[in-house]
Amino acid sequence: MKKVLVLLLASFVLLTACSSKSDNGTSTSEGTNDTASKGTKALTAWAWDANFNVKALNMAKDAYAAQNPDVKIDVQENAQADIVQKLNTGLNSGTTKGLPNIVLIEDYRAQSFLQAYPDAFYDLSSVINASDFADYKIGPTSLDGKQYGVPFDSGVAGLYVRKDLLEQSGYKVEDLQDVNWDKIIEIGKAVKAKTGKALLTQDPNDLGLIRMMIQSAGSWYTKEDGSTPNLKDNAILKQALETYKKLMEADIVKVTSDWSQFVGAFNSGDVATVPTGNWITASVKAEASQSGQWAVVPFPTLPNTPSSVHASNLGGSSWYVLNIDGKEAAADFLKQTFGSNADLYQNLNKEIGAIGTLKAAASGEAYSAADEFFGGQKITADFAKWTEQIPRVNYGMHTYEIEDLLAVEVQNYLNGKALDKVLSDAQSQAETQIH
Amino acid sequence: MGKLKRTFTYVFLSVVSLVSIFPFLWMLISATNKSVDVTKGKLTIGSHLVDNFKKLTDTIDLGTAFWNSAKISIITTVLALLVASLAGYGFEIFRTKTKDAVFNILLMSMMIPFAALMVPLFKMFASIANSFPALGVNTLPAVILPTFTTAFLIFFFRQSTKMFPRELLEAGRIDGLRELGLFFRIYMPTMKTTYAAAGIITFMSSWNSYLWPLIVLQTPEKKTIPLLISNLGSSYSPDYGVIMTAVVISTIPTALVFFLMQKHFVAGMTGSVK
Amino acid sequence: MKTAKPGIKLMNKGRLTGWWFIAIAVIMIAAFYFYPMIQALLLSFKTGKGANLHFTGLDNYKRLFSDRTFLAAVKNTFIYLIIQVPVMIVLAMFISVLLNDSKLKFKGFFRTAIFLPCVTSLVAYSIVFKYLFGADGLVNMLLTKLHLISAPIQWITDPFWAKVTIIIAITWRWTGYNMIFYLSALQNIDNSIYEAARIDGASAVRQFFSITVPLLKPIILFTSITSTIGTLQLFDEIVNITKGGPGNATMSISQYIYNLSFKYSPDFGYAATVSYSIVIMIVILSIVQFKAAGDK
Repeated sequence: MKKVLVLLLASFVLLTACSSKSDNGTSTSEGTNDTASKGTKALTAWAWDANFNVKALNMAKDAYAAQNPDVKIDVQENAQADIVQKLNTGLNSGTTKGLPNIVLIEDYRAQSFLQAYPDAFYDLSSVINASDFADYKIGPTSLDGKQYGVPFDSGVAGLYVRKDLLEQSGYKVEDLQDVNWDKIIEIGKAVKAKTGKALLTQDPNDLGLIRMMIQSAGSWYTKEDGSTPNLKDNAILKQALETYKKLMEADIVKVTSDWSQFVGAFNSGDVATVPTGNWITASVKAEASQSGQWAVVPFPTLPNTPSSVHASNLGGSSWYVLNIDGKEAAADFLKQTFGSNADLYQNLNKEIGAIGTLKAAASGEAYSAADEFFGGQKITADFAKWTEQIPRVNYGMHTYEIEDLLAVEVQNYLNGKALDKVLSDAQSQAETQIH
Repeated sequence: MGKLKRTFTYVFLSVVSLVSIFPFLWMLISATNKSVDVTKGKLTIGSHLVDNFKKLTDTIDLGTAFWNSAKISIITTVLALLVASLAGYGFEIFRTKTKDAVFNILLMSMMIPFAALMVPLFKMFASIANSFPALGVNTLPAVILPTFTTAFLIFFFRQSTKMFPRELLEAGRIDGLRELGLFFRIYMPTMKTTYAAAGIITFMSSWNSYLWPLIVLQTPEKKTIPLLISNLGSSYSPDYGVIMTAVVISTIPTALVFFLMQKHFVAGMTGSVK
Repeated sequence: MKTAKPGIKLMNKGRLTGWWFIAIAVIMIAAFYFYPMIQALLLSFKTGKGANLHFTGLDNYKRLFSDRTFLAAVKNTFIYLIIQVPVMIVLAMFISVLLNDSKLKFKGFFRTAIFLPCVTSLVAYSIVFKYLFGADGLVNMLLTKLHLISAPIQWITDPFWAKVTIIIAITWRWTGYNMIFYLSALQNIDNSIYEAARIDGASAVRQFFSITVPLLKPIILFTSITSTIGTLQLFDEIVNITKGGPGNATMSISQYIYNLSFKYSPDFGYAATVSYSIVIMIVILSIVQFKAAGDK
């Protein structure tokens, strides 16, 4: 049966021969992609975002090539969702064909990959020094005491604020330094009353704000082990949801349903603040006419929560090496570049605005530059400072799974369901869902 | 034809057409604006079309991707029409109880979401590649082979064959045509509009197909248009002007295929060889 | 075969010819659909994360009944199905009959315009769509101007209206697609039938119901079955327009399968189980539709 199938397939190759002739040629030469032979080593690396991660990878490649001309790195751009699909399909099929040597994985998803495919990733414990990086990055990138990821960009959060709108409402930027969310909501009401503008945007399908709030207090959807749901009786999550409801009910939120609407809202000046990760800077600056009107203040703390600090995180990702031929070379590449090269991070910051999590990079000159768009504020230095204060949590394997369950219950909560019931229902659903 | 009915027809079709193309027109306009204006929902024509196009061609190799997509779509469409129409004809003209059963079983292949088949299918091609590299992952046959035969199209041809005037076959037999001759000389030309409809639909779905090419195509120079467009959106700061431009460009081939093919839908032609 | 009598041989030959016509299709579908489908069926009895799977018997199937997300997805999907499929089929048929008028001008334009929505990738369309249906979007502006509503409708973020938006989006995108099948079928109807009816004094409405609909029956069956399958496998519209929200108010079964495989910690076993639940539902629905159509 198999032979018949193969024969049939072969006959179809003939049918398509005219156009696949050139393809066959290249595909056989690509067969040697992942084998390290004859001196030169060929590595492939996957990342998403042409203007950010992919560019960072290319800059690292150039920096590395100067000392290691025998290593050829093929940087391939794939959308994040595409990488997740290809990686899952590939690893699940048990074939290493077509897998890259180096891959970028979002921190929220990292544990799920590391735990679902235990031998698929190469242990980098002896290659990089975990203590060289911001502490909060080690949670997602390590498993059972082994370091698998090279921490990359910081998703450190801040509150981007419109100085002019605040001033029109009777506030100064200084009034927003080191405050909690209750104060922000109060300011939001004043902004709405004076200027008619919303305080911020929220997409009901995206609980990023809640994630930032609970991480600022060192809590997460799951317990330390990364798999036990931690919703019911989670005082911090409860406080975050109460704050969220207060915010939503104060009539100071512009509801969006899309990334483009989120970006559009602050570009058109419809909101006074944007609480999010530092990577939004490029999009904020895209509206050049608002230059000088923006500032960034520390992320607000959760009210009545002593453990909450003025630092949190949203997003961010790290580099991983797959346990296939070429892993030593790939590990060496990461070690020499993202793993230790502080100068590279200066260039990354200058060229693409990336803020790394390598501690040594924070003292470089690029990090202390003043940004005129933000009225001369040294935003990179501020973000780097906050990065080191982000509480370390274990994102675990189920962040998105639990968040989808929670999103349903949050809707119920906004419609009047009691909070304790909301959390215990979410908890019991999470317990049945997670195996 | 009553004047009232005529007026109604024009008004109704105009409204439906307007509703249908309005978002597309918006996209066309957005393709001429820079990202900041797109996100603000600007509805007037801007001056950034050339700029967007340049940025697009700088980030992606549009020519290669177009060529890849075209190759895959054309080969898929030709093979699909041939195989599905032969089968649809076979099932209907030579109808037996057994064949009906086989047909019903084939229909079941439509029912499972492709996402569930992906991993086994990928495994299959990865193992075939060990003995037949030309068929393996990252080759053109690997993209086309599993996708060109669809129960959907066989079903369509079979249903359309029910409307085919069988007397024509008898006439052909009398003229001494063999079975394949009947199919190619009589059935095919008679069913021109069915082929046109099937061609449009197959070309479109092949041109837009995403999941399987994504999994099976590995290297950048093999990638198709939809895969590259997907890259554009995955970003901390997506350039919406460029995305709109890319999508408008990617729509052109299918729209063109449709426009050319729809001319075959000529009212009043019974298709029969009159 | 060799020993068969001549008469039987001839009959067999006729039947055999039929098999030759369908052979390639059957082999291809067996290899590229049924083989992986069997693998997926086996997978549906396994559980585990990633590649560490073990057999659990029917546990996955039992899990379906206590899985609230799955049940919500099934409910949503059926709402889409019951409301959207009939509306779209009737609309597609109606439009194609109007377009089939030989004296109609701008036919090419009308057809292309109506077909266009299904051509373009939803990635960009959805951005525009969400502007149209945003709280301060064009649709609300229009409805307010016409005094049809007093407060803006939350098209995307209200659980009820989000479903309506999805139904509008699917209808808008796929009506033109289904129109193609009707247009092609209408060409195969002999005009002389209509001429005869007209001479008999049958009205246009009468002609439509007593000639067009019965003759189009095979295609009506085709479009209703394929649209049913399409709706049960609905994915793009949901992911791009509402992401399944608010909460899980618009989540579809296919989106849930995707989430189980890729968004969450990968559980391919349970994802396969959910896929097979669709197969079971479609088989039942198709049998009903075939019976309703009198096996045409």
